[in-house]
Amino acid sequence: MSFLDWLVLGGTLLFIVGYGTWRTRRAGNSLDGYLLGGRQARWWGVGLSIMATQASAVTFLSLPGQAYADGMRFIQFYFGLPLAMVLIAVVAVPIYSRLGVYTAYEFLQTRFDRRTRTLAAGLFLVQRGFSNGLSLYAPALVLSAILGWDTTLTVCLLGAVMITYTVSGGTRAVTVTQQGQMAVIFTGMVVAGYLLVHYLPAGVGFTDALHVAGRMGKLNLVDFNFDWENRYNFWTGMTGGLFLALSYFGTDQSQVQRYLSGQSITQSRLGLLLNGLVKVPMQFGILLVGVLLFVFYLFQPAPLSFNRPVYEQVRMNSAAAPEMARLEKEYAQVQQAQQAAATALVAARHAQDAPTQARAEQRLQTTQAAAAGLRTDWKALVQRTAPTADAKDTDYVFLSFVLRYLPQGVVGLLLAVVLSAALGSASSGLNSLGSTTVIDLYRPFTRRPLALCTDKHLVRVSRGATVGWGMLGIGFALFAARMENLIQAVNILGSLFYGTILGIFAVAFFQKHVHGRAVFWAAVVTQVATLLAFWLTDIAYLWYNVLGCFLVMGLAELGQRASPPGPLSR
Amino acid sequence: MTSSNASADDKPPLLPSWRAWYWLVLGALAVEVAFFTYLTRSFAP
Repeated sequence: MSFLDWLVLGGTLLFIVGYGTWRTRRAGNSLDGYLLGGRQARWWGVGLSIMATQASAVTFLSLPGQAYADGMRFIQFYFGLPLAMVLIAVVAVPIYSRLGVYTAYEFLQTRFDRRTRTLAAGLFLVQRGFSNGLSLYAPALVLSAILGWDTTLTVCLLGAVMITYTVSGGTRAVTVTQQGQMAVIFTGMVVAGYLLVHYLPAGVGFTDALHVAGRMGKLNLVDFNFDWENRYNFWTGMTGGLFLALSYFGTDQSQVQRYLSGQSITQSRLGLLLNGLVKVPMQFGILLVGVLLFVFYLFQPAPLSFNRPVYEQVRMNSAAAPEMARLEKEYAQVQQAQQAAATALVAARHAQDAPTQARAEQRLQTTQAAAAGLRTDWKALVQRTAPTADAKDTDYVFLSFVLRYLPQGVVGLLLAVVLSAALGSASSGLNSLGSTTVIDLYRPFTRRPLALCTDKHLVRVSRGATVGWGMLGIGFALFAARMENLIQAVNILGSLFYGTILGIFAVAFFQKHVHGRAVFWAAVVTQVATLLAFWLTDIAYLWYNVLGCFLVMGLAELGQRASPPGPLSR
Repeated sequence: MTSSNASADDKPPLLPSWRAWYWLVLGALAVEVAFFTYLTRSFAP
């Protein structure tokens, strides 16, 4: 990395964090000011904060790589999100607003009882506490692999910066910094997309790139065929995606806190609806960058593996040398044939010569199949020579392109995109962990006299909890570095809890006659059943959100009918 | 977001009602899905 890149990267991050901390330096004067930014956020601030919270570094590292390898079908995962935004704006926002709550779980005590509230808050703290550490670990892992940065140092530095400004200014600092972070993210992705098209060979334009990508099956945006085993199609997006979005935006405090900080119901609702309008096009743009990368590498030599550390690890093994030399040689030949076929396809398209176009397309597909076969051989070689290494390299595709091809300064800007996303997402999570700890666990259970539970004291406890969760997150991120497949495991962990939490809230909103005892035990049974199903069956994890929610609702209804009449909750 | 502001929230900005806002979001999703379907079918192998 050049000096200019370091300057852009360091300057961008320091300016955003420094400005956010300075502007919110007096936020800790009251509990309302610290936890909800004095409920002063406008709709665009709420909307940007919601988007920044969801868009973690993984979004910008994994999505382009996923589109590069698998096409754009992942976009269907987001189809349920706009509908979820509307439902939350209609149902949840007015209720949270009327009660004037700090956390989503406070509402459960009003509706049911304290133990249901504590159960939901506890489930949230477990899954968010674990997953927040990974928001720091994932970018550190990729940056260490590509740039040689030390993973421990990167995690500690990112963690220290995040804890400092989140503890200092609370929710307001998180919101203000996220506005700058989103500006950097949008700018960086537009610049990357423009440069990708600009770097295509002379005579290959944007529509040519789309044409070639489509012919290679990368523009597989919508699939209306229902298949239980196909994770991404229109129907899973509209059901599993909808329920996941309802759980995440409607019951996860890291998101609920964003719109609770809105100036009014109008501002909160508009913030959610802004997310509903922008999210799908935004994800489309990020996936499109991945597809353009795919076309770019049809005309430029791509490495056998973008994961350099694993590549070097295999290369250092002398037993693998003959096989590796064969793979390298054949891959280079396939790439030359691929480049010739892609060039012929574009030329035939310009000449409107259908037979030549069909032949070039056939040749290109053949070379693609040959390249895929060689990559499969490569993965088998990795398995044999370095069994503990992860041969998957899609997370490295985008940053490898950035570092190799983009000009000085832009590299720094795009690294700032990744780190901004990491900080924006993790700081929201940290902020919500601190808030939930003080509001749902400390305040209801403390034996401290009420007169001494002043705003000042509660802000101090919340700051302490935020530091504690931040340190735990750093510790977990460092521990994660020693374990395999933990990222996927923790993603699944989220889905295992979301179904139960959403079920509790769904009963609260829609089954007015069900009381606290029925829903509490329904939630406990559902959580145990979900964990058992996870261990004993092969159900795709997205479905746990749907099944968990309906199981809580069904069991709560049965429990309500079976149990003797008791005092109904309000 | 406080209940004291609730009375000012009956009418949303720009559009005549909240229902119009909700239909705008859902309509945008429908247009996006239609556009994506067009892209998928137009450029399919």
